Amino acid sequence: MTPGRERLALHLAILLVSAVGIAYEIALMRVLSVAQWHHFAYMIISVAMLGFAASGTAVALLRDRLEGKERPLLAAGALLLTASLVACYALSQRVPFETFRLATEPAQLRYLLALYLILAVPFFLVSWCIMLGFLLEPRRIGRIYFLNMLGSGLGAAGIVALLFRVDPADVPYVLTLPAALAFLLTALGRPRLWLAGLALPAGLLLLTGRQPIRLSEYKGLSYALQLPGARVVAEERSPLAVVTAVASRAIRETPGQLSGYPMRELGALPEQVGLYFDGGAVSVVSRFDGSLERFAFLDFVTGALPYRLVERPKVAVVGAGGGIEVLSALRHGAEHVTAIEVDPSVFHLMRTELREFSGALYERGDVTPVHAEGRRFLETQADGTFDLIQVALLDSFNASAAGVHALSESYLYTTEALELYLRKLSPAGVLSITRWLKTPPRDAIKLFATMVEAAERSGINDPRRHLAFIRSWNTGTLILSSSPLTEGQLAAVRSFGEERGFDVSYLPGIGPEEANRFTVLEQPLYYEAAQRLLSKERSDLFREYAFNVRPATDDRPYFSRFFRWRSLPRFIAASRGGWFNFVEWGYVALVATITQAALAGLFVVLLPLLIFSRGEQGAERGGVMLYFAALGFAYMFLEIAFIQRFMLFLAYPVYAVSVVLTAFLVFSGVGSYVADRRLRAGQSAGARRLVRGAVLLIAALGVLYILLLPPAFRAAAGWPDAARVASSLLLLAPLAFLMGIPFPVGLQLTSNARPSLVPWAWGLNGAASVLGATLATLTAIHIGFRAVVLFALGFYAVAALALARLTPATTLARERADGGYAP
Amino acid sequence: MQRFAEGPISRLLPAALGILFVSGPVVAPPVQEGDAFREARERMVREQIASPALGEYAVEDGRVLGAMRTVPRHLFVPPDLLELAYADRPLPIGHGQTISQPYIVAAMTELLQVGPDDRVLEIGTGSGYQAAVLAEIVGKVLTIEIVEPLAEDARERLRRLGYDNVEVRRGDGYYGWEEKAPFQGIIVTAAASHIPPPLLEQLQPGARMVIPVGPPLQVQMLMLIEKHLDGRIVQRSLMPVRFVPFTRNE
Repeated sequence: MTPGRERLALHLAILLVSAVGIAYEIALMRVLSVAQWHHFAYMIISVAMLGFAASGTAVALLRDRLEGKERPLLAAGALLLTASLVACYALSQRVPFETFRLATEPAQLRYLLALYLILAVPFFLVSWCIMLGFLLEPRRIGRIYFLNMLGSGLGAAGIVALLFRVDPADVPYVLTLPAALAFLLTALGRPRLWLAGLALPAGLLLLTGRQPIRLSEYKGLSYALQLPGARVVAEERSPLAVVTAVASRAIRETPGQLSGYPMRELGALPEQVGLYFDGGAVSVVSRFDGSLERFAFLDFVTGALPYRLVERPKVAVVGAGGGIEVLSALRHGAEHVTAIEVDPSVFHLMRTELREFSGALYERGDVTPVHAEGRRFLETQADGTFDLIQVALLDSFNASAAGVHALSESYLYTTEALELYLRKLSPAGVLSITRWLKTPPRDAIKLFATMVEAAERSGINDPRRHLAFIRSWNTGTLILSSSPLTEGQLAAVRSFGEERGFDVSYLPGIGPEEANRFTVLEQPLYYEAAQRLLSKERSDLFREYAFNVRPATDDRPYFSRFFRWRSLPRFIAASRGGWFNFVEWGYVALVATITQAALAGLFVVLLPLLIFSRGEQGAERGGVMLYFAALGFAYMFLEIAFIQRFMLFLAYPVYAVSVVLTAFLVFSGVGSYVADRRLRAGQSAGARRLVRGAVLLIAALGVLYILLLPPAFRAAAGWPDAARVASSLLLLAPLAFLMGIPFPVGLQLTSNARPSLVPWAWGLNGAASVLGATLATLTAIHIGFRAVVLFALGFYAVAALALARLTPATTLARERADGGYAP
Repeated sequence: MQRFAEGPISRLLPAALGILFVSGPVVAPPVQEGDAFREARERMVREQIASPALGEYAVEDGRVLGAMRTVPRHLFVPPDLLELAYADRPLPIGHGQTISQPYIVAAMTELLQVGPDDRVLEIGTGSGYQAAVLAEIVGKVLTIEIVEPLAEDARERLRRLGYDNVEVRRGDGYYGWEEKAPFQGIIVTAAASHIPPPLLEQLQPGARMVIPVGPPLQVQMLMLIEKHLDGRIVQRSLMPVRFVPFTRNE
């Protein structure tokens, strides 16, 4: 085979392996979202980084021994990768890990660690192949790096398309094909190897068979499937979620307590089919034959309150799902209902398998289904369009109580979101939001605070006259009205509470005794909190309350994060060893992930380097460590910040992850390629100038984006999907291009000056990336996205300062003597 | 939790071995057990349930404390968690279900305010432990479990332990047990989006219903529902621990 063809084969293999790596990463995020909950997405990012870093360390340390054997070792890596995709996935699904038992069962920590290590293997192998590519073509490091980035970018885009058609559980099997192709390319001209090589993954596939996702026994779908006569009637998938429709006579979900419902008189609930999203949150489809009589029960939940305040309203339901709130609107005489649902699978199911069952609910003349993210759709509507905007109860009671959503960005409950809802209301219109309540109280208090602030920011002078809040034992419904509530409306709230046995926790002029009668709390906490939120004591309440009840904002859209570290001692003291009763699970998982990432970085990267590398250059090593660690943190901080920022604009988390990753990887690759070409012609002084220039521009762009992205997103909210994806790529391109420069340039400088420090550069960068992904999330939760971006810029500044120490005077002298440093 | 469903022999084996180990050869009667478990139970009642340190949260009803001292909780937990049987915590029993923390079981039993002449309905049998504790106090316990393997295991376990005043039914508890209504107490351990209206109907006026509320392996609060003689329903939300979320920085 000619060297040219061999090189082409190598390049194609690198491209394929890189694509497989990123696609596998995103597929695993989906697998873990189904098996457990979505906060494990962060764990996967750090697992992947750990695999990358570890193999960087391994290759760098073994460099001498690898010499001359790069090609067979690369082929071996590709082969093992092919086999590990299925093997590691299948093995991971046999680890009996359960999030809920983390705090009570010590073995769970071991299981989590096992998951961490098993899933890191394929990423180790991906990186192994790429590093050997570097070794095989030392003069084309820039090109290999570019191919790696390009392949990753293509993988990120490709997996989203794949997830429309293929179950997340099947993705590892599908990815075996490109991985095997990469192996064949690396083993070109060695047919015997082909045969032996392909036998291994084939054998493994036969051995494991199809391994379904191991669903946590605590997920809604697991419970539903145990019900008498339960059967899966349909399944739909999109990159957003796998939606499983389950029918059983015993499924009876209501949007909260049915208070005083006379079932004998008004009849049993209509038959339901539960739609389980990623095996978790449920939304029910009710059997509907066009007669609304059987839906009388919907007047016995707190969420029926707004229908006592507006007559024949034009309603928008955000998060319409299976349509129970739509049915409620129709039952209560709505003139028209706009049903907004972000997941395309729901409408598809209601048009196909569940069409007859649901009475073609979404095809009625008085119902308009809108497939869109709620905020983005409302942004495109004329002001004053709706008389009632309802945000549906979006998650299940248990998931809400457990705080598994603590890490979910939710742009539906931020101050900015509520301001938008207010703008879209008619002059006498009302916004109604219902939430599951927790003990001790949190959700409804935060929502009340958000309503107060949104009202003030919308120019409502006296929000006290615009608010109402009623509760049952498990739900709270909060009303924010465009105009001051009239005497008639105030009386209507009171009589609704009285009739149904709901406590009125807030209404203008209400007293504490009136607020705590039907579901008696030991202390009228909701009443007290509402009063303080409407007085000068608001900031005192935020400071003193045991939970974080400050309104969420677009900069910090974590409505469901209530945990405060300063309350931890009180939780521990109060709770008979069950401190976790007060802490959100998502948050616990994040802290556990950070701890593991730090330990893994220490044991897998830093310690081996310390032990095995000959460390005679202390001071120089310090400079290298600082430079590459700072770059690792900076890159991951920006990446995470932009993924979260673009979620609002691109509507789906998966789109945001895929678009931002694609843009960052591809354009950083281009940046590194261009830098590499420039380096070949220049010297290290020029290289340093290049990095400093890039860092300055990154800082300028970062600040610009902080200021300009929110208004730009609002302006472009109505654009079609493709236009928003394309404009996102364009926006991210210059930043990513610049971010691609510092790393390869620094590496080249280090490699020229002190080759023995290259392992340190790889290792530190990898370890910092492992930790950076999770730390960035923690920073976003506590301080906000803007802070994450600013931190990233700070890390870049540190890197720029450390740059001076990368090429000490001795090196420069040698460079001059050599007449340039090109390798 | 696959092991749990293997069969009664394998389930009891570790417990039996534990008894042999502690007390030497078992002579008679067959349900006799080692001092270790009796002591563990005594300590559980003393430290977790009746401790004065719990203040107003301490369980005081002598009958409830007696029942907690009598029922062999270790025979209701999965064998691999045997050493945690009397620990101050809930334990998983498979199928996403839980055996509640000892204190919660005692507190719920006390809250019901039931006695020897009463008939109690339980929705969500689980391991059968709560039913056994109730059976020590009341005349009749009727309990419904929707998950078949749990229902079978609990029925067998309660029969073996001689609780012949407990009736276990496998099925959907939503509509209660109409033939045996009204009840002088109802416990609903299966969390739901609403309290089934038929259960409220089957609650005798003047009687109480208790519902533990919280995600798996946690109890955030106990809902106490009182049906007054005039049919009026009043609900009380009780936290199992003392915690005031408002603080003042003095």
